[in-house]
Amino acid sequence: MRNILTIAGKELRSYFTSPMAYVLAVFYLGIIGYIFILIFLLSPQAQTEHLGNLIGSMLFLTLFIIPMLTMGLFAQERASGTMELLMTRPVRDWEVVIGKFLAIVSLFASVIIISLSYPVILEVVAKVDWAMILTGYFGLLLAGAAFAALGIFASSLTSNQIAAAIIAVFMLLFLWLVGALSYSVSQSLGDVFKHLSVLENYQDFSKGIIDTKNILYFLSLIFVSLFLAVRTIENRRTI
Amino acid sequence: MIQADGLTKYYAQHPAIVDVSFQVEEGEIVAFLGPNAAGKTTTMRILTGYMPATFGTAQVAGFDLGEQSLQARRNIGYMPEAVALYPDMRVHQYLSYCGRLQGMGKAELTERMEYVIDRCGLSERASSIIGTLSLGFRQRVSLAQAMLHDPPVLILDEPTVGLDPNQIVEVRNLIKSLAGDHTVLLSTHILPEAQMTCERVIIINEGEIIAEGSPQALTSQLRQAETLLVTIRDDDGTVARQMKNIPEVVDVRSAEQAGSYYVETKVGSDLRANISEFIVANGWGLLELRPVEMSLEDVFRELTTEEKGVA
Repeated sequence: MRNILTIAGKELRSYFTSPMAYVLAVFYLGIIGYIFILIFLLSPQAQTEHLGNLIGSMLFLTLFIIPMLTMGLFAQERASGTMELLMTRPVRDWEVVIGKFLAIVSLFASVIIISLSYPVILEVVAKVDWAMILTGYFGLLLAGAAFAALGIFASSLTSNQIAAAIIAVFMLLFLWLVGALSYSVSQSLGDVFKHLSVLENYQDFSKGIIDTKNILYFLSLIFVSLFLAVRTIENRRTI
Repeated sequence: MIQADGLTKYYAQHPAIVDVSFQVEEGEIVAFLGPNAAGKTTTMRILTGYMPATFGTAQVAGFDLGEQSLQARRNIGYMPEAVALYPDMRVHQYLSYCGRLQGMGKAELTERMEYVIDRCGLSERASSIIGTLSLGFRQRVSLAQAMLHDPPVLILDEPTVGLDPNQIVEVRNLIKSLAGDHTVLLSTHILPEAQMTCERVIIINEGEIIAEGSPQALTSQLRQAETLLVTIRDDDGTVARQMKNIPEVVDVRSAEQAGSYYVETKVGSDLRANISEFIVANGWGLLELRPVEMSLEDVFRELTTEEKGVA
């Protein structure tokens, strides 16, 4: 556990010593704020139920932001050669992977907590359904963590950061769009596609519904991705 | 402390090292000597647990690197060939990160950090950002992290590469002073370095160990002939041919200087008296006659080029 926290702490600190975290956080919060203003402050007939849509667009932005944060986690260590020292420490490969994963998840969590200030502002002028908001945020955090895990897997595959980011975005876009395919194929295959879809699994959260099926989907996405990342790192030792 | 048994490593179809076996006893300083791409780094990466060997086993501090890799790694301080540090971290931040990953407690870490920062001459740079340091200082940080957890075994891959002459002397002295308390395996392609810092040398070439022993033992063991340097005043061009006729002379080669010759004689013979008599009798004017010591460099060159000649 200590090793995991040491690695997570180191990664978090390096996000904040580089402009990366600030730039992405400002960009993320700025766009969300812009959408927020468009929906609630400029359109008179807006309903607080639209907040669910807002969280939905946050998730779509997350799909592009997270790969930018995860791309360097292993690719950079490989490219600069620091991987060699890290891999010869008395630390297990999975501890390294979990440590880096925790760093990203806590960074993402703190950014979305800041974004909670938008509904708080709305509370001044309208009645906000907090149960629905918090469910939506829970789903957002869960999905963000799953994106991070997939991004870490992509980063473990290559020593090129840009390639890692592109691989991650494509995998995530696939998971995002696969649900749309379900309408053009047979019923049974369509169901499979729907179950694979990030969007389908997220939708209930944004309506304020917590379903174990959806939670399980994201948890298994996290587990499978991190498992593949650990295996990739183990295999890379042998070549 | 270090034991390698039949280590073989293939990269795809190409063998990087073949059947490498050796031992390093506790407290010894051993140099791993070889030209570039001889397999030094590959061997060290196996010994530090970075990657497994294709065949063969290795033990460090009594722990098998296959089965007890974590315990073995706890007992190793490793300085990789390429100095790779996190450029955005400060020196003390980096060292404390390394120490925590090695499982050091807070008090121990503070104390050891102070010690290695001082020993590696980093006192004035302890709060510098690593990215702003010169290569020499980064090299010292890399050495400092290897020594930080006071590991019984130190594996140093080309520790003096990229340093200026003064720093090289400092680092060599530092490494020498580690003997006794630490077991050190260092790799180098610089012969005088091996000769100066190490008690024992393992010579590796094209992935195979080709010689092993103390620098002195290696030079005498591999000497196939005694060599004398002869310089004469009146060289008429027939000297070399005529000297070959002296009994027990194996070969005569011209040296760099005009009038100088290397005379190789049979092992164990001392022909100085015979040769001087011969030269004087011919009236060539003897200016110099002395035995030539074979340096480790000659041994090394002989071994590594011979190998190529055979292949």
